[in-house]
Amino acid sequence: MMTSNLSRRQWLASSAALVSVAALPVWAQARAKTGPAHIVIVGGGVGGATAAKYLKLFDPSVKVTVIEKNRTYIKPYGSSEVLNQHASMDDLNVSYDTLRTQYGVNFVFDTVIGFDPQARTISTAGRQKITYDRLIVSPGIQLLYGAYEGYSEQVANTAVPSGWIPGAQTALLAKQLQGMRQGGTFVIAAPPNPYRCPPGPYERPALMAEWFGKHNPSAKIIIVDPKDSFVTDETMMLGWNRLYKFNLPDDYVKKMQDKVEIKQHAAAGMLSWVRGKDGGRTLKIDAKKMTIETEAETIKADVINVIPPMKAGQIAMTLGLTDASGWCPVNRRNFASTLQPHVHVIGDASMADAMPKSGFSANNQAKVVARAILEELAGRAAPEPLWENTCYALAGKDYGLFVADVFKIVDGKIARINTKARYLPLDASPAQIKLGARYQQAWLRTFTQDCFA
Amino acid sequence: MNLYFDKTLNAFTRRALLATFAGGLALLSYAANESASKVPLAPTSHAQAATNPVAISGELMAHSCAACHGTLGRLGDESFMPLAGMPLRQFTTTMLDFREGKRPATLMGHVAQGFSDAEIRAMGEFFAAVNPIGSQP
Repeated sequence: MMTSNLSRRQWLASSAALVSVAALPVWAQARAKTGPAHIVIVGGGVGGATAAKYLKLFDPSVKVTVIEKNRTYIKPYGSSEVLNQHASMDDLNVSYDTLRTQYGVNFVFDTVIGFDPQARTISTAGRQKITYDRLIVSPGIQLLYGAYEGYSEQVANTAVPSGWIPGAQTALLAKQLQGMRQGGTFVIAAPPNPYRCPPGPYERPALMAEWFGKHNPSAKIIIVDPKDSFVTDETMMLGWNRLYKFNLPDDYVKKMQDKVEIKQHAAAGMLSWVRGKDGGRTLKIDAKKMTIETEAETIKADVINVIPPMKAGQIAMTLGLTDASGWCPVNRRNFASTLQPHVHVIGDASMADAMPKSGFSANNQAKVVARAILEELAGRAAPEPLWENTCYALAGKDYGLFVADVFKIVDGKIARINTKARYLPLDASPAQIKLGARYQQAWLRTFTQDCFA
Repeated sequence: MNLYFDKTLNAFTRRALLATFAGGLALLSYAANESASKVPLAPTSHAQAATNPVAISGELMAHSCAACHGTLGRLGDESFMPLAGMPLRQFTTTMLDFREGKRPATLMGHVAQGFSDAEIRAMGEFFAAVNPIGSQP
């Protein structure tokens, strides 16, 4: 039914458009010269790959080029499972072959060094100049290694890994953790808000508590944190309480004890969490002495994992898409940059109000933007958007938890509309909790398929 | 792929093809832009149009499910429910049961809270029209 309406409208549009080219908007004149639209996507992560796939799915005639520096994608989601031997480094690799061969997405393996937003050309380190009708930038994050005294990318690569962007640092951290001396101390420095993968800095120590329980039962894990709370905090800490004899802070016990039994362990387990209000903020790393200095104390560790503060990926800064906050302001409806014309920014780098910086968010933003761009190129308004987000996380191999969100634009901002609840219920049954863990593992596969295959 | 495009994405694809054939000219009219903004952008039920000032298309909402339920609701050998080709009534009953807490859930109860009756129906109409055969979209 809509088909005929829209078709008729489109024909009307085409006859109505038989006017002089000079009367057309500038972008339209450019389009008229070039035939099928060319959408260029910078970054082949979750956001970029999903945008490429769905653009081709929505309109196979559109030309889509992804510029990406790495020939193989390394998944950040699930990468902490390399540390506890749930997964291997190879399991993190994702090929771009399906996008290329089945969807006809063109890939340029190169690094973007600049662009001309007026001429709509983007240039690469390999001296390519690529012309586009619309640019989607999905640059992910950059880690601010320099935020802590004594810390740097070089230190992270060699002694005190971060691994928040997965790769060689992930493998180094796995080796350090699995080889840690019996009774050693593992310190993980959680990041300040906002950051990629909100439950991630807390899933990682949980997975290690489980692994140490089998392989290094006298080990200690200390989470130092500039924050006093985190996404999924109640359900994650309830899991720690049940699995690792973690004693929750008093204020959490008070908040939660009416809804669920919280054990007070006479002998607390290996895991502790030092919050911002208790001096948990990291100040300094000494890689030689293997110490980490926080506002409260200096801790001698055997393995330190720093998740530094982060901002939008460097490409976003190079292209002038970031504001003073270090993130990219966008129009909520179509994620068009408010700073550069004909550019859309998606994923972790974008400022998306209530949406977390998650792969699921980037995936959903990519689809909304793919649709919006095609509609706008056809002279129509971007459709009213809706997004979902789900972050699964593990407190242990068989202990799954999550956050589940639906978002709409409300009063000009992206707001969560399932306001009743978003977490695993505190009174969830053991069966539900185990099912959550199975779903987490399934999601790692289905999500990769939706983005890359 | 063809089956799908023929049956379900035809509106969008035809629009895109028309745009291509007509060269740049077909794309450009401000008049079209104006009129497009005044009509619903996708099939929605009358109930939704009546109760919701800005209707969201069933297709757009359906794509938000794909990260777990597969692109276009097509899913291989996984734990989640494949949605492609699900009869409309099965979809709406399941979602409403999730939303009203009649059916135990991990997170689908929370997700269903984000959708109105009309929105659930619009998503269900989209999935019901997708051919479930074919693991690749």
